[in-house]
Amino acid sequence: MASLQPRPPPNYIPNPNQTPNLAADSFQNLQISGPGSAPPPPTATSGPISRAVQPPPGPVPRGPFASNGPPMAPPSGPPGVTPSMIRAPSAQSVPAPFPGSPPSNAPYTVPPPGRGQPVGAPYMTNPNLNPVSQPLQVGPPASAAQPNPMMGLSASQPNSMNQNPLGSMGPRPFPGQPSSQPYPGPPALASQPVRGPPQSFPGQTFVGQPPMGQPPMGQPPMGQPQMGQPQMGLHSMGPPSMAPPSMGAPPMGSVAPPFGGSAWQGQQRQGGMLAPVRMAPAGMGQQPMVSTPGAVMGYSPHAGAQVSTPSKIDPNQIPRPVPSSNSSLVYFETRQGSVVSPPPPATSDFIVRDAGNCSPRLMRCTMNQIPCNGEILTQSCMPLALMVQPFALPHPSEEPIQLVDFGEMGPVRCIRCKAYINPFMRFIDQGRRFVCNLCGFGNDTPRDYICNLGPDMRRRDADERPELCRGTVEFVATKEFMVREPMPAVYFFLVDVSMNAVGTGATAAACSAISQAISDIPEGPRTMVGIATFDSTIHFYSLKRSQQQPVMLIVPDAEDVYTPLQTDLIVPLGECREALEQLLESIPSMYQTNKIADSAFGAAIKAGFLALKPTGGKLLVFQSVLPSVGIGSLSSREAEGRINISNADKEPHKLLQPADKTLKTMAVEFAEYQVCVDVFLITQTYVDIASISVVPSTTGGQIYYYYPFSAVSDPAKLYNDLRWNLSRPQGFEAVMRVRCSQGIQVQEYSGNFCKRVPTDIDLPAIDSDKTIMVTFKHDDKFQEGAECGFQCAILYTTVHGQRRIRVMNLSLPCTTVLGNLFRSADLDSQFSCFLKQAANGIPTTPLTQVREQIVNHCINILGSYRKFCATISSSGQLILPEALKLLPLYTLALIKSVGLRNDGRLDDRSYWASHVASISASLAVPLVYPRLISIHDLPSKEEGDSVLPAPVALSSEYLSDEGVFLLENGEDALIYVGGMVNPEILQKLFGSPSLEGLPSQLVLQQFGNDLSTKLNEVVNEIRRQRCSYLRLRLCKKGEPSGMLFHSYMVEDKAPGSLSYVEFLVHVHRQIQIQTKSN
Amino acid sequence: MATDPSALGAPDPDGLDAIRLTWNALPRSKLEASKCVIPLAACISPLRSNPNVVSLPYPPLRCKQPCLAVLNPFSQVDFNAKIWICPICYSRNHFPPHYQSISEDRIPGELYSACTTVEYSPYESNPAAIPAPPPPVFLFVIDTCVIEEELEFVKSAMRQAIGLIPDNALVGLITFGTQVHLHELGFADLTKIFVFRGTKEITKEQILDQLGLSGRNMGPRGPHPQVNGFNHPSGAVNRFLLPASECEYTLNTLLDDLQTDQWPVEAGNRSIRCTGVALSVAAGLLGACMPGTGARIIALLGGPCTEGPGMIVSKDLSEPVRSHKDLAKDAAPHFQKAVKFYDALAKQLVSQGHVLDLFASALDQVGIAEMKVVVERTGGLVVLSESFGHAVFKDSFKRIFDVGENALGLSFNGALEVNCSKDLKIQGVIGPCTSLEKKGVLCAESVVGQGNTTAWKLCGLDRSTSLTVFFDVSPSERSSQPAHANPHAYVQFVTSYQNPEGQMKIRVTTICRNWVESSVTEELVQGFDQETAAVVLARYISLKMEMEEEFDATRWIDRSLIRLCSRFGDYRKDDPASFNLHSNFSLFPQFMFNLRRSQFVQVFNNSPDETAFFRMILNRETVTNSVAMIQPSLIAYSFSAPPTPVLLDVAAIAADRILLLDAYFSVVIFHGLTVAQWRNMGYHNQPEHQAFAQLLQAPQEEAQIIINGRFPVPRLVVCDQHGSQARFLLAKLNPSATYTTAHEVAPGSDIIFTDDVSFQVFSEHLQRLAVQS
Repeated sequence: MASLQPRPPPNYIPNPNQTPNLAADSFQNLQISGPGSAPPPPTATSGPISRAVQPPPGPVPRGPFASNGPPMAPPSGPPGVTPSMIRAPSAQSVPAPFPGSPPSNAPYTVPPPGRGQPVGAPYMTNPNLNPVSQPLQVGPPASAAQPNPMMGLSASQPNSMNQNPLGSMGPRPFPGQPSSQPYPGPPALASQPVRGPPQSFPGQTFVGQPPMGQPPMGQPPMGQPQMGQPQMGLHSMGPPSMAPPSMGAPPMGSVAPPFGGSAWQGQQRQGGMLAPVRMAPAGMGQQPMVSTPGAVMGYSPHAGAQVSTPSKIDPNQIPRPVPSSNSSLVYFETRQGSVVSPPPPATSDFIVRDAGNCSPRLMRCTMNQIPCNGEILTQSCMPLALMVQPFALPHPSEEPIQLVDFGEMGPVRCIRCKAYINPFMRFIDQGRRFVCNLCGFGNDTPRDYICNLGPDMRRRDADERPELCRGTVEFVATKEFMVREPMPAVYFFLVDVSMNAVGTGATAAACSAISQAISDIPEGPRTMVGIATFDSTIHFYSLKRSQQQPVMLIVPDAEDVYTPLQTDLIVPLGECREALEQLLESIPSMYQTNKIADSAFGAAIKAGFLALKPTGGKLLVFQSVLPSVGIGSLSSREAEGRINISNADKEPHKLLQPADKTLKTMAVEFAEYQVCVDVFLITQTYVDIASISVVPSTTGGQIYYYYPFSAVSDPAKLYNDLRWNLSRPQGFEAVMRVRCSQGIQVQEYSGNFCKRVPTDIDLPAIDSDKTIMVTFKHDDKFQEGAECGFQCAILYTTVHGQRRIRVMNLSLPCTTVLGNLFRSADLDSQFSCFLKQAANGIPTTPLTQVREQIVNHCINILGSYRKFCATISSSGQLILPEALKLLPLYTLALIKSVGLRNDGRLDDRSYWASHVASISASLAVPLVYPRLISIHDLPSKEEGDSVLPAPVALSSEYLSDEGVFLLENGEDALIYVGGMVNPEILQKLFGSPSLEGLPSQLVLQQFGNDLSTKLNEVVNEIRRQRCSYLRLRLCKKGEPSGMLFHSYMVEDKAPGSLSYVEFLVHVHRQIQIQTKSN
Repeated sequence: MATDPSALGAPDPDGLDAIRLTWNALPRSKLEASKCVIPLAACISPLRSNPNVVSLPYPPLRCKQPCLAVLNPFSQVDFNAKIWICPICYSRNHFPPHYQSISEDRIPGELYSACTTVEYSPYESNPAAIPAPPPPVFLFVIDTCVIEEELEFVKSAMRQAIGLIPDNALVGLITFGTQVHLHELGFADLTKIFVFRGTKEITKEQILDQLGLSGRNMGPRGPHPQVNGFNHPSGAVNRFLLPASECEYTLNTLLDDLQTDQWPVEAGNRSIRCTGVALSVAAGLLGACMPGTGARIIALLGGPCTEGPGMIVSKDLSEPVRSHKDLAKDAAPHFQKAVKFYDALAKQLVSQGHVLDLFASALDQVGIAEMKVVVERTGGLVVLSESFGHAVFKDSFKRIFDVGENALGLSFNGALEVNCSKDLKIQGVIGPCTSLEKKGVLCAESVVGQGNTTAWKLCGLDRSTSLTVFFDVSPSERSSQPAHANPHAYVQFVTSYQNPEGQMKIRVTTICRNWVESSVTEELVQGFDQETAAVVLARYISLKMEMEEEFDATRWIDRSLIRLCSRFGDYRKDDPASFNLHSNFSLFPQFMFNLRRSQFVQVFNNSPDETAFFRMILNRETVTNSVAMIQPSLIAYSFSAPPTPVLLDVAAIAADRILLLDAYFSVVIFHGLTVAQWRNMGYHNQPEHQAFAQLLQAPQEEAQIIINGRFPVPRLVVCDQHGSQARFLLAKLNPSATYTTAHEVAPGSDIIFTDDVSFQVFSEHLQRLAVQS
């Protein structure tokens, strides 16, 4: 791409691990032309603005519909708002109501947990519960009360202006925010308020524009207070009887229309404001409609307009994620004394100050309070797990992790459980003894380490010693942590040169990527490289300096491989850089005429492994076709699978399991010798990722997948992926163990590693992108008020050959109150957990079952909340815990995701599953619920704003035919071009007035115009955020590529799957059934 | 010179036919034959060049099945009826149409009575039918587990060889150490090497598969095209075997870059050397060539195989390489396995028609004893020396590429058929060949060497290649009746081969010998060839020593000799003094005396490798040369007389003499004490002592002549009396003077420190025993 800098200045990073920012920067350099270092999180800026602009501000409050459709749900700050606002706010700079970022959501959501309560209170009877919960009402009913929480329901009140609540708040969130909040939008708002009120129809709220909507606030009396009522309405809805919770198809059909329906739109145009609130949803339960109708109609006059649909849920008011990016940087202090605040969302941009607990980037728990006993946990139905990302990139402004050297003595540890010294160890007896926070054992303090205690019973030197005041530190490892000299950084490249690989350009792409990436590897004396190519045989290259040219050594036995040389296969980079570059240049032409179609992948990695065996290191494999010969060869199961499916084979998921154990056995051996395998699949065919992925996943590596490979657009991504792979913060020959307080124990680790003993996991390599999930179970009880400590220790070797132990500590309060659990639940972690569990299930369980399990899990959690924490509200109301309000949406997105869709290719699903296995919490959500932004109307950037416009909800309702949209999930980016886009815009963006002739695999170029520049900025910013070079694909309306794009519109109804609203109805109904049955 | 036939009183004993029989008169009955003690055998040198051999540009005319004997001077021809009668089977054959013009005045070459040996060039009359002669193939297999210096010697030898190889010859290169490196010479971009592991046995199919030569991976190229009726090698083979003219540069570059094996050798261990796999790979690669292509694997070995198939000793230095003692005690754990492996390799090479040549240059053994089977079955050459820098290696190696007069005349794809009169049966052949398993009525029941067949394959043969064919006399009832007896026995040898130029030749030799009625000892005696008998016996014993455990060669020789002397000696019973032998037998006891002391029988003085080497040469050399191995010749040079053959006796040593010993494998120039002193004082450099200079020079020149005419090149030892190297001479001499008789020794002579009996003692015993009743 034009924007690429072919050779960014080598950012030599003395210790990437320590100074990740640099590394991060370097990554930026990677792809990006010029994104400043701007850390700024993507902001929604543009979004709002644009809307504001287009639609006549005044009248049309509801931008939602407008093409730009603001994605977010309308901020209908429920009445509740008011109260809450008041108090909560205190804590954060951010507007209280909406805790973190999501102002937009705020509407329904009750205030964030912590502060939330206030809010909740109002509506919910149950104080406890409420806070957390957001009532979603299905039914149109009167519920209006709740501001919005309910999707549209509130309609009942004409004035649904629930916003009003906002009103009160009004000031704050919206308008004011500008500053504090990300919302760029605000400005616009400001004005609106004014008119807003008027116009808006009762409508209220407008979702999209939350901002705007508010104005109305005043009025609406949203009955908030009345929450109660709503419920009533509910029953009707509550089609409990309706029986088929399932969205019966038939009904749906009918439903649909209303929804996305033209009807609506029409109206919108007209009035602009449709009452937001109740819209839709008619759809929800088909039946419900019936009952509701009345209500609905009644309420919203406008509604009347709407054709038949009676009850509706305003799609604009359903919970939707608010772009965290909107918020300005959040500062997060991991602890304040004994108070542990829940961390900001993983996807948001924040700066952490380590005050005893480690950064949430490094370890994030699914709940920020730990249940005192197993019963509570079981009751909550939530998982108890840690997402550990030991090398996560910190924010550039954060303090680097400090290195502590205890000299010969080595780090102080608990004698009994071997936990490392940490801020939660309690010193007693004038500092002569300390009590382990994990096992409770009283240790003698080593003589050299004794220090008196101060009046606060802390050691006087606690603040000077990082290990006593920081949640994360690194210790210098002593000899006893070394079985051998720390290994050098060794990279061995394996390139497929079989006929197809050469023919498709994969070989050339790989060679050029390696060649460029190598020139970026810092040239430490301990950096070694080697290379081999393979088809049906394996070709090593001896790169010794003394030889004039490399010698190619072929190992022809693909069944039983060996290394052809003891030395010279891996040489210090400094000695062979030139020879290697020349070799890489000539490889593609050397094999130009290769007629060997077979590819001995298994043998090749085995051979590479043998070369690496003495040292360990990274094996980077560039594979292009299905491994067809030699050890671990695979058959084209995909084809067989198709046949079998037609024969009604009941177990197609078997094809998602590895074909046999060969590769697994090999991988375990690799791991034992500290060899990590990364596989770059540059292919145009089925390669059986299910089998291949076993190797990287066991050795701490990962799969990169370029399908269908395009020699035009993909080399850039390949290069950037490879460069990032080599330059990101990472460690070698690592061993990791998580310890925790007595009361719980580690149940399972999951991620990319090899496990030989029950307590530890071996990671031949670990890097900043890898996350390991650790689940826990109770084996005892905690006292209320006690804290549960987690300590993750990872012993590793830096790229510079130093042996270190990185220790991360997290200490969380324990509780016996179920409500606290829900309040402190961490959506991102929990969702990651579901995601990973779903991925784990893919190979062993039929798809339908996997999906069912996920949905049930979601229902159980929400049901538990409903049952134990929101008992007072009527059963007709769907009440969601604030912290988990997006769970249904994400669950829906998950069951529609690539890995769980019925129509996915085997490889796509396998890749998805393997990708997910090590994905971080911050990338998990976007993978499943991608970000969609419009790019035909990119706003100009203003000081302090993010370059990213506000995201749009993933519903085709928000797509306009005149628009161009960019959807990205951290891996791929789709550019969707509507059917009636102004050619001028196309010209600006793509350099061509029509899409004719543009390849679907797009190479983004800079054309000398503002829009193009902005688009490039946007794309680069996304790349930076995701640490990933996105593959761009052009999707045109009405073509298969367009269908692909639409498959990401998870809120839409699709054949065989529910729309978001329908799904909510389904969930609600299931909960009702559950509740009833009890 | 002892090897000079004239010295033995017979003009060119090999004659035109190059065939020598132990008995030129054949005993009529089985019983008589057994009484003759010495088996009836013919030593033949099928390719011996002789200017008198007539060359015929047409294919031979053969008798009908199953005889297939070729028309020869002994055939009776009815010129009128245009019929010939085969002397071997008595079948009557019509001449084919193109012989119609035959008449008493016009007879074809093969019928001339002098032309008992003729050579046919079957395609010459019809040039169109001549297949383009396939180029010869040389596949070098080089051991890199050697010290730097040795490798340099190898490189220089190779460079020289590359310069000598004919341009059209295909050349391939394999180097090996811990692993086998097959160099793809046809790959231009960079040095490309296929690496095979040394530990694993690998089949020919696997090799071809892995090299992409099996056609499996050839994609569109598909099966090999048929060209000229040959299964043309796939183009792929040309990746590895290139015409010398095309790959000379590449080869030289490769040699420049060639390094000693890079795998580390642990202390206390031998280098890891996978000779077996290297040879397998070589054989496998050649397997992709068309059969019928003359191809040689030329292996340069610098040490024992310590890994994988064919391993002869473990890499642990504390385990010594097997000795004869180990073999005798069955204490050589790897021996049988290795032999089995090489046996299979031999079969493969024979079926492909390819040859293995061994050049072993090491102080230690390299495993020739195990590999012998391959070399011998394929008719390969073998050279044993101490170092690649030694003249024995350097000169021998160069010789194989020589052209012109000194050329070895390396030929390929030979096949030998033997036809003989019914009363003779063929027991088998000792020599560099393999049975083609063509059984027939002519096969004897008892087998010697490669038996049970009347045809043998000689993958490689040259001008000096000799074979020993053993016959059994087994007259049928009818033929033993004098009335019906044909007085003549006929034997016909038909050798087809491809000469160095690639042309097919068929050489046919027919001999006729007389049957002798059992009573007539005189005729038998007249027909005895004691040299041939000694050689045949040596070969026969060597074979028995290898094949039969517990075989006591010395006693066997003694008993045979006594029986022979009893049978043919002239004596009065129980009177040793009266014992006398006919001149045709007179040397035989001495041959046997020396044979008993030779390396062929006294193996314990040598390593198994050396023994194997000696025997292989013994089996493939001419009678004359073989005699020299058994009983070296000794010539004395002195001022007083012209060079004179002298007795092989310690008494031949004199202070003022120079002795030249030709023991075939070594040539020793031995300066008497005085001569050495003179030389040391530099007299030969003084003009007035020109005669002395000439005296010093004469044996050197003679030695050089011997060396030049011999392959492998013998080791030249120049030594002085009482010097350490003198042992090379002393070991061969009759110990007529030992330390026990030291006081009787003439001044200037020498003694030998041994307890061995002298020839005199041996003779006395022989006489006594021979005359015992």
